[in-house]
Amino acid sequence: MSAVIETSGLGKRYRRLWALADCTLSIPAGHVVGLVGPNGAGKTTLLNLAVGLIAPTAGTIEVLGGAPAAGQAQLARVGFLAQDAPVYAGLSVADHLRLGARLNPGWDAGLARGRVGRLDLDPGQKAGTLSGGQRAQLALTLAVAKRPELLVLDEPVASLDPLARREFLADLMEAVAEQDLSVVLSSHLVADLERVCDYLIVLLGSRVRVAGPVDELLATHHLLTGPYRDPGTLPAGQQVITASHTDVQTTLLVRTTGQILDPAWTVSEVSLEDLVLAYMSQATGRRDRGGRRHLEVRK
Amino acid sequence: MIEFHLDGRSGVAPYLQLIHQVRQALRLGLLSEGDQLPKVKDVAAGLAINPNTVLKAYRELEYEGLAAARPGIGTFVTGTLAGASLAAHGPLRQELRRWLARARRAGLDDESIEALFASTFRSASEEGIA
Amino acid sequence: MIWLTWRQARGQAVTAAAALAVFAVLLAVTGPHLASLYAASGITSCHGGTPCDTAASHFLSRLAGTSPYPVVYLLGIALILVVPAIIGMFWGAPLIARELETRTFTLAWNQSITRTRWLAVKLAATGLAAMAITEALSLTYAWWADPIGKARDLAASVPGLAHPFTGGPLSSWVFATSGITPLGYAAFAFTLGTAAGALIRRTVPAMAITLAIFAAVQVAMPLWIRPHLIPPERTVVSGPSFFESAGLSVGTLQATTVPGQPSAWILSSGAINAAGQPVSTIPAPCLSSSAGAVGKGAPPNAGACMASRGIREAITYQPASRYWPLQWIETAIFLALALALAGCCFWRTGRRRTRRAQSPSATPRQDTVAASPRRGSRA
Repeated sequence: MSAVIETSGLGKRYRRLWALADCTLSIPAGHVVGLVGPNGAGKTTLLNLAVGLIAPTAGTIEVLGGAPAAGQAQLARVGFLAQDAPVYAGLSVADHLRLGARLNPGWDAGLARGRVGRLDLDPGQKAGTLSGGQRAQLALTLAVAKRPELLVLDEPVASLDPLARREFLADLMEAVAEQDLSVVLSSHLVADLERVCDYLIVLLGSRVRVAGPVDELLATHHLLTGPYRDPGTLPAGQQVITASHTDVQTTLLVRTTGQILDPAWTVSEVSLEDLVLAYMSQATGRRDRGGRRHLEVRK
Repeated sequence: MIEFHLDGRSGVAPYLQLIHQVRQALRLGLLSEGDQLPKVKDVAAGLAINPNTVLKAYRELEYEGLAAARPGIGTFVTGTLAGASLAAHGPLRQELRRWLARARRAGLDDESIEALFASTFRSASEEGIA
Repeated sequence: MIWLTWRQARGQAVTAAAALAVFAVLLAVTGPHLASLYAASGITSCHGGTPCDTAASHFLSRLAGTSPYPVVYLLGIALILVVPAIIGMFWGAPLIARELETRTFTLAWNQSITRTRWLAVKLAATGLAAMAITEALSLTYAWWADPIGKARDLAASVPGLAHPFTGGPLSSWVFATSGITPLGYAAFAFTLGTAAGALIRRTVPAMAITLAIFAAVQVAMPLWIRPHLIPPERTVVSGPSFFESAGLSVGTLQATTVPGQPSAWILSSGAINAAGQPVSTIPAPCLSSSAGAVGKGAPPNAGACMASRGIREAITYQPASRYWPLQWIETAIFLALALALAGCCFWRTGRRRTRRAQSPSATPRQDTVAASPRRGSRA
């Protein structure tokens, strides 16, 4: 499967601060990719680099085999929805569709009209008076109706109420099914992503912590509980992500492709949310001080 | 056509839940051979889940011989699970009602009935295997 | 893209059209009567010489007292001076700054159109419209004020010209509001606004800066730059009647006319003695009681008295014939500035733009670890 986004050592620096550093990814096509991380981790920077709004300071990035925003053809293949779905407040909904039709050779007018009709948007209404959910839907219509191959969304549901959030994601999934889209969407909440994403990237402190298909990640991460044990004594193939100790007990989150054969461990599954939290707490230089638990790993 | 639902807190993977619901529908006679399963697009939109999840479930059903995909048209049921047992459902259901009435008369509450059923079911299954 | 440019600027375009329509109506209503007054003044039937000058001077004096002509005249000049500044502030400054402020650039720059083409169409379409409107205004006004201009040229050598119609074609007000200079000003002000918006990224500060810089340039131009666009002419008026022929008055010793050069633009003048040194006051002997009352009509004695002492008047001026060359040069300068500023806009909207200057995301920081991201090991 070809890669939709391919980066190598990608970095972006603003003055002296690296907003993104040493990012090497190969995101396959045909997935809904979730980009998770706290605010300031570099998610928006990575997405802006992917759509060509900013240029890298270091490394390279290739989107759908071409340089981001390199020309009209490249721009037509990538749809983008920025944070808070900015729209032209003075233009009506119909004006926005006209904008899309005139500026995109691949514009599907029927699709756009159909979506607006189903969403119950008044074509004459000024976009500035739309609710947050409606604005997000309008922006999604604009991004989807130009028939891109890749859709990039920056925190699309962060400021939406639960109903609007659900409707937006439902609509997005329908578009993915209909048009065979690849999607990269970012969020700082894992719950948003659990249902819709089948590929996960965790970004923290401007670096990629883990990246891979969700199925594979869930299958290779296990929670081990057992009597107190020094994590350094584990077999080589088992990578410890987080460790927590009491004086008699040890709880470890490990990543391994093989089986856990040691009978001393109780092995249990990890949810996606716990997995993400574990990587996020595996942060820059934090060390476990004996007896203190980092995170709640059991629901 | 059946409608899917998801229990987000059951801990069971979504695609397994979908498979389970199809099998359940087959057993209860809600789905029979030749019926069309809901379109991937509609399930994905209705439940707000990744279409690949739905595809995975449908592929698994295909592998089990219960469904077959017709490109461009949809996925259709090709196998059954109920079989002749559907006919036996009626009398079995009646017997079960009678048993439940007796259990209540004996003073068992809901939890006790469930516990009794679960433990008997498990031990009977193990005996069946052994 | 042209449609989008139009649609975004529709409100401003309508306002501008309405305002100009009102002014055009005013001109249309008063124009024919002005023309008829001119025709009745006898200027058209005279054949040159003093009768024409007097007729012209009378015509202008009467006009100055007939409302609404002085008001419309001054209004037109004020409008043409101010319109470029307004265009710079309200058409230029928001062009890029507003897209950056409201973050709609994320929408615009991800349509299937490159950033360069987006900016090129916006700048060209709006800029040309701005230039066209300003020039149309200027030409319409020139048509209306034509009789006044003709009369003024004829009456140039007649002293005591009635306000507000003074000033030859090269005087600041007239030069800046006639010919093709308004085109240059409009282009300059517009691109100044867009460049300010692109650099500052906020609409209101960009508007303020545009106004300040444009006003400063418009003040500096006639004062320090225009006089030297073409090296000015110098002449020395001497002889017994130099006082009158240079239009001096006892108070200032500044020349008001250049003999043989009607409607010349006098840049500087001053009395000099035989050795060429400046003379700032009339020598006392020439101000004897026999000289009579001070004022413009000083008796010939004062002039002849000074002339006999070798005092002459030195004048630096631009002749009226240089009107068009100066117009072309000045317009070219402003158009060149406009092109440079437009280039600045293209440079600034390139992909070196940083994200940090934008308004921060509304969601609060959740993870304090992220507050101190790891400094990259690559320097």
